[in-house]
Amino acid sequence: MSLVINSLRSHFFKHLLCTSTAAAAASTATALIFGHRTRGLVGQSRFSDSVFFFSERYKLLSQLASKTATFSTSRSSSSLETLPTDSYTSPYLSVTIRCQKNVADMLSEALLCFGANSTSIDEHDDSEVGDEICISSIFSVSQDVKESISLAVDSIGLKEIPSYDVVMHDHTDWIKESQESFHPVEVIEGIWIVPEWRKPPDLQATNIILNPGLAFGTGDHPTTKLCLMLLYDVIKGGEVFLDYGTGSGILAIAAIKFGAAFSAGLDIDPQAITAAQHNAALNNIQPEKLFLSLVPSTGSATFTHEIVSKPTDRQHLNDKGVFTETEKFHVVIANILLNPLLDLADQIVSHAKPGATVGLSGIISEQVPRIIQRYSPFLEDIKVSKMDDWACLAGFKKINLG
Amino acid sequence: MSTLKEILTRRPVAATIRLTVPAGGARPAPPVGPALGQYRLNLMAFCKDFNVRTQKYKPDTPMAVIITAFKDNTFEFTVRSPSVTWYLKKAAGLEKGSGRPGHVMASSLTLKHVYEIAKVKQQDPYCQYMPLESICKSIIGTANSMGIKVQKELD
Repeated sequence: MSLVINSLRSHFFKHLLCTSTAAAAASTATALIFGHRTRGLVGQSRFSDSVFFFSERYKLLSQLASKTATFSTSRSSSSLETLPTDSYTSPYLSVTIRCQKNVADMLSEALLCFGANSTSIDEHDDSEVGDEICISSIFSVSQDVKESISLAVDSIGLKEIPSYDVVMHDHTDWIKESQESFHPVEVIEGIWIVPEWRKPPDLQATNIILNPGLAFGTGDHPTTKLCLMLLYDVIKGGEVFLDYGTGSGILAIAAIKFGAAFSAGLDIDPQAITAAQHNAALNNIQPEKLFLSLVPSTGSATFTHEIVSKPTDRQHLNDKGVFTETEKFHVVIANILLNPLLDLADQIVSHAKPGATVGLSGIISEQVPRIIQRYSPFLEDIKVSKMDDWACLAGFKKINLG
Repeated sequence: MSTLKEILTRRPVAATIRLTVPAGGARPAPPVGPALGQYRLNLMAFCKDFNVRTQKYKPDTPMAVIITAFKDNTFEFTVRSPSVTWYLKKAAGLEKGSGRPGHVMASSLTLKHVYEIAKVKQQDPYCQYMPLESICKSIIGTANSMGIKVQKELD
């Protein structure tokens, strides 16, 4: 128990010490914590004193953490560090509740209504004896676990609150677990996508080394495969390629490997741009061949100074920083979602040269008619390729557009 | 009633996970990340699949999703529309329901609102075979328990 508290305390103070303006807050924080601790131990409750103490501390921690967070974001609004990584550095709470089997479903639904981020029930083997089942639930650090559980239990009519444990986890645990599930995959004959931490099975083939991080695009999704196959057919050598919604940068990097002269990747998620830049370096692609930029989620494609820092990259942007490469690309592929594809149709097509190939994906078969209807003023000779329930459209931009 | 073939090919279930995710906004971050990551499920595939299937809802409506994770690290999921109480609160412009339902009315809605909510609810996998009238009746019952009055027309 004390180990967890110690790690809590050290993590909390590490967070405080990172921001210089929070030095003053640190002294007040320690005073508050010590004052609160004595109150917690004296107070009485139905559960063990440690649990009560724990939940009080979490509330306090979260209040102080949010205050320091506001300090840091206001001070350093122009630096790269404040891009939204806070949700990954703050820990989360995992609560394990033991209750009767017949109320497990209702209790987990009720927990979701009263503040849990998620609940999961492990399937029991039939060989297990007893009536009890464990619900593991995830709360954010700022939640009052005790109150949420008591409200949930009240709402379904249970007389007494079941026993539960609270453990604090770091985000690196599940990130590591999910990385375990990436394996090298052969998308097309002779083309492999290999995660950074594994060895390529075939060293002679074209290997694209990826660390997707927290961005889309590992190579095993059907839409990624469909887009890669389209790219493989279309790129003959020397083309200029635009990847709208680049995610991990997989399509832009693949285009360079297939022989394109230049690739550009745009995305609305700063995490994606960071991951794509990292992957470009992993594959030894020079910055002159690959340009990556952040676009805001609405409006025209302007950029933010923080991401694009090299002077060579500025050539694609005018004085106001607008990505003005209209009618410059031989191939444009957008692998996003239905609604962005519909909203940004004009923009996506404006970047393509007349007669260029435009590819659209990230849609399921039932959404295809709407895309065709939206894009038929711009594209001709539209072909649809499918894999599982996913579809990819490819067409040529009309030569004579008004 | 499952067919014999379904029973024979049913994969062993590892866990049932319940989540609330905004429509079109699934990312490999909390709440999705920790919950699914510990069962080694493919987060990207779930996020992409979920986002595509919730495109028809207004962005950021909180959808309830139930994921069945199998022991071989594959998964299936069903998406349900938000709870009736959420729709009612949104339609009436409330933050919370009334503290004393039955005695203190928090707000009022028309039958037209109830009908619109019932139409959305009917698209849920579990409500498709219920007549619209009974869905409306249950929505009116929920509204009464929250302290929201349902009138024919707003005065």
